Amino acid sequence: MSFAFYSFFIIVALLLTVFVWSLRSTNKQTVPFSSSGVLHDFQASHVMHLPQIRRALAPTDYEFVSKKISPKALRQMRRERRQVALTYLSALRAEFDRLMRTARVMAALSPEVTTGQEMQRIFLTVSFLWRYRATRLILRAGFAPLPQLSDLSNVLSSFSVRLEEAMREMGERAAVVADVVSSPDRRRIHPV
Amino acid sequence: MAETFGIDKLFWGLTFFLNAGLVILVLYRKNVRVFPFFFLYALLDLAHGVVIFESYRIWGFNSATSRNIAWGTQGLVTFARALAVAEGCYRILAKFRGIWELAWRTLVTAGVFVSFYAWAVSRGSWQFAILNLDRSLELVIASVIVLLFLFARYYEVAVQPTVRTLVTGFFLYSCFRIVNDSILERWLHTYATLWNFFGTVTFLASLLLWIWALRLTQQQTTAEPELLPEDHYRSLSPAINARLRGLNEQLSHFWYAEGKKT
Repeated sequence: MSFAFYSFFIIVALLLTVFVWSLRSTNKQTVPFSSSGVLHDFQASHVMHLPQIRRALAPTDYEFVSKKISPKALRQMRRERRQVALTYLSALRAEFDRLMRTARVMAALSPEVTTGQEMQRIFLTVSFLWRYRATRLILRAGFAPLPQLSDLSNVLSSFSVRLEEAMREMGERAAVVADVVSSPDRRRIHPV
Repeated sequence: MAETFGIDKLFWGLTFFLNAGLVILVLYRKNVRVFPFFFLYALLDLAHGVVIFESYRIWGFNSATSRNIAWGTQGLVTFARALAVAEGCYRILAKFRGIWELAWRTLVTAGVFVSFYAWAVSRGSWQFAILNLDRSLELVIASVIVLLFLFARYYEVAVQPTVRTLVTGFFLYSCFRIVNDSILERWLHTYATLWNFFGTVTFLASLLLWIWALRLTQQQTTAEPELLPEDHYRSLSPAINARLRGLNEQLSHFWYAEGKKT
């Protein structure tokens, strides 16, 4: 009885907290009212510049330099490399956020949405965010070694092809609609 | 206690007139076409006030007949409130067909689970049955509203300020009723008068919110978004998820590197 009694207070407190949080202004754009708005979110990824960053972080390079420079300079280099890793993490986060927004806007503008896809995305978001925060914390504290980064372009490119094609098709379609709408004779609009 | 009851009556009268004012306002501003279920709720609540007042006058405040009438009509009002909340959900999400389909199923499922929980942890005695039912319904309404706003936030759907204020009024009222009902369940006799008083004050606050929200005439239709062709979601969503998974894997490389070291 006692637990049940207090559980209602706890639930109400939780509901109030989540409610206030959900009403909080996010300074984000809301869903665009045209499908062409989705396309503006899909731009070239900063993460695709990884090969250069990866070269800078290579352990072999670190070993080579350690024989050539003083320990002080080596520490500074290590600090700078850590900074590079943190910047890369931020780029991953930005890329993730951008993709998530594209996915959300696309889902909002789609006539049919699959629960499985949406749930998978929520799971991926939770998984990404906790890893991201933990990794960032560990890197900042200086406990983590510099990562063995794989070539992200390889990871992403296999997934990208279909996405790029579909996006291009969507862009062409939106461009045709925009062209027709902006033409003087608007009575002949046949967007589909 | 007598003083409290005097203030209680004062607030009760004030609430009744504000409720009548709300009904007139909705009619005057022609918002009845935009929010038909909200109007139904406000109207039923007004009628509920009249019925309760008359039953107390005829049978007295502590009679079993008055209590049965009060709770019986309260059930109808709560049901109308649930419909008004569903109308709010519809007005926020229905124009986005895909996520609306997903949302209403999620909201109904969540509602069933929440009501089951509320019923399961309630006191078993039959005399608390109506109180528990009332609290369960309020908990369902509050949870559904929170989920609705989470949906809207997640999918970046703009919520019309009027609808937001109306639904906020419902949410605050439901939350307070859950707390109030829980306290009443525990200290039934000593808390009964205060329970009525706090309930009236909370409803008064919600009424003021609703009057503020509906002070202007609302547009019956809102702009419909231009939806994407059906095949786009089917082809793009898995690709985006795969790409997100790729980014997740990139993060795991950090962990892998550390794992090797330790």
